[in-house]
Amino acid sequence: MQEIGVRVSGLVVSYGSFIAVDNVSFTVKAGEIYGLLGPNGAGKTSTLKVIVGLYEPSAGAIEIFNTPISDEVAAKSQIGYVPEEVILLDSLTPREFLEFVVSIRRLDRDAVNSRLERLTSAFELKQYFDTPIAALSMGNKQKVAITAALLHEPRLLVLDEPLIGLDARSSKILKELITFHAKKGGAVIFSTHIMEVAEKLCTRVGIINRGKIVGEGTVAELRMLVKSAEGSLEDIFLKVTEQEAGLQDIIEALEEE
Amino acid sequence: MLPQKGQDNIRKLVDSAKLNTVISKLLMTVFIAVFAFAGFFSTTGAINVPGLSKELTMVGTIATFMALVLFLMSFMGIQVSTSFVSSKVVAVLSPLPLSRRDVSNIVFLCFLRIFDIPLLTAAVAPLIAYYFFGGSLLGGPVLFVGVIVTEIFSVTLCIGLAKFFYSKVTSGGGRSRWQTLMRFIFMIFWVIPSFGAYFAVNFATYLIQLYAAFAQTFSSYLYLLVLLYPFSYGFLASYASFPIGVELSTLGLSIVSCLVYSLLAAYSFRWVKNTIREVGAAGAGARLREVVKDTVVSSQAPWLGIIRKDIRLASRSPSYASLLLLPVIQTAVLAVSFSFISVMGLNALLGFLILISSVVLLLPPNLISLEGLAASYTRSLPVRKKTMILSKTLLTSIMYIASLMVLLVVALFFRGDVASVLTFGITNLFSVAAAATSELILLTNKLWRESPAVGNMYAKLSSYIVIAALGLVVVSAPIIGAFTALFFAPHLVFPVFLVLALAEFALTMVFIGSKK
Repeated sequence: MQEIGVRVSGLVVSYGSFIAVDNVSFTVKAGEIYGLLGPNGAGKTSTLKVIVGLYEPSAGAIEIFNTPISDEVAAKSQIGYVPEEVILLDSLTPREFLEFVVSIRRLDRDAVNSRLERLTSAFELKQYFDTPIAALSMGNKQKVAITAALLHEPRLLVLDEPLIGLDARSSKILKELITFHAKKGGAVIFSTHIMEVAEKLCTRVGIINRGKIVGEGTVAELRMLVKSAEGSLEDIFLKVTEQEAGLQDIIEALEEE
Repeated sequence: MLPQKGQDNIRKLVDSAKLNTVISKLLMTVFIAVFAFAGFFSTTGAINVPGLSKELTMVGTIATFMALVLFLMSFMGIQVSTSFVSSKVVAVLSPLPLSRRDVSNIVFLCFLRIFDIPLLTAAVAPLIAYYFFGGSLLGGPVLFVGVIVTEIFSVTLCIGLAKFFYSKVTSGGGRSRWQTLMRFIFMIFWVIPSFGAYFAVNFATYLIQLYAAFAQTFSSYLYLLVLLYPFSYGFLASYASFPIGVELSTLGLSIVSCLVYSLLAAYSFRWVKNTIREVGAAGAGARLREVVKDTVVSSQAPWLGIIRKDIRLASRSPSYASLLLLPVIQTAVLAVSFSFISVMGLNALLGFLILISSVVLLLPPNLISLEGLAASYTRSLPVRKKTMILSKTLLTSIMYIASLMVLLVVALFFRGDVASVLTFGITNLFSVAAAATSELILLTNKLWRESPAVGNMYAKLSSYIVIAALGLVVVSAPIIGAFTALFFAPHLVFPVFLVLALAEFALTMVFIGSKK
């Protein structure tokens, strides 16, 4: 039986009276790539932030490879996280930033340096290694965050819109890395708005809308859910999130202008 | 439940930030106004500066006032210029249908808003004081022009330093010793006006005395001062106030000097208006890419990693750098200005330790606010609260030790009671560490609970003041105990001080030890 990488049970995240995530439950097994899809403001990022320990949930429980998230250090040690909005310590250089991350994670110097050499070559980051992060482009900042997330070979990767800003080459490499990570027995949760990527990459997807999971399963299972034999994930997504109605009228109205 | 960031929360944050800005402006305004009136009061003859005529006293007063305004305004501007005059501001304005000149003007006017009340006070207060104490009709405009020139110079200094030095600090990557040294030198240049302001505030009265001593010793060369800013305006205003017996040659020289400085100010004004939009953008963008030899990183213990990160961040942020160095600078300034070290009794030493400790204890809130810079990422790292508290306590203690070293050097120089400074100073370290730990326990709880909003400490100043007050209570307890012993059992002063300081330290360490 496959080990459970992430178990989210009855998760509620509320900001004052506003409930952003409403009783969400799902599991991600080791070796799985789980795509969390949803329109803007659906609750994806809130869910991911609770999983990585940035926010405390109002209710519910989360386990990372059987470690409850309340055991903060042990749980966080198993996670590699790439945030949606990459706000790193901007006045540091990537080298200095990674030295901080490596120190906090108590990583072995030799092992980390050989891994770092490979990652920086893959993402063509070496030339920017001593440039302040503030001076880097958004894509290069993203690469620094991805490198920091992969450096300790985490068991769980939590990636919030990781492909935004990446060039085609780096995007391809990251997708390969995600697949390879899952093949090695790691778990991956990632959110994205690019349906084609989710369709190709994810083992399963969960569609979240207004804080609730409104559809979950493989793409084939979701097709059955919406009773459409051939629709793309984008079509399924629009149906499940009830965004399809009136869409054509809006497009036509815009084209008439 | 996470706090909901609605309109009310945002309004509260904005109101709080506005209030803090106004308080800071008002404090500076009051200081400028008081100094202007006190300065011109001395020129009426009510206060006699030994060895100086009333004409030369006025020169000294005006020159000191201008130096004070120059450094205070620069201090204010430097703290905010790089974050305000950033590429982001220009990036927002540039796509709008505005000319480059319009963008520059908007940014410039917004920048001036930072100083609005102090600028106005600095221009008006000395004029009112001058006329109030019987100044001449002609002297007023000279004084007014002199202050305006000073204000332009201070803004130029801010923008100039931001353009030439700060951009090199932020854009200066590299890891060689040479590059690190260069960054350090640029940073020193960058924060000099901050310490100049501190120096000017502490030594304002001493500066007049220093000037008096100079005037007495080098009376034959006094005319050379006529050529130097800010003395030129002081001399011209003085000649306009007391015209009888003025030498025409020095009058001519002062007029020419003032004209030259005024022209320079006009040129500076134009330069600032044209340059202000480039600051920040130039720093980050126009950097030459250097060859990176390797991607090797070093790994250290987590507590050391946090300290190293904090020092690196502080070394590239003028406000954090000046705050980190403030205890050391303050100790040096106080120790030298009070130069009573040689006759310093135990009660004076204890008072001195409270002063140093209270400034050192401003560091923990600032070090925690550093954590807020990228909390939306760094809080996902497996950092233990205990590690965070101990690393920041250690850094605070290091800065206390550095301040103590300065005090020790001054005590040695003035042949003071080095033994007392050492024994009480080192014992006080335990109390400082206990106070810093107490502050940090509350602050990290706040960071863990409210992350990442805790970063902006200036938006929630009142809650930080309560935390700083707690630190002050903890650090004062052994000193108050020692003061009490001084009256009732003088031979027990040190044992009481030692026991209380150690007890506080032990208590906080036991508390920390019980935490995860």
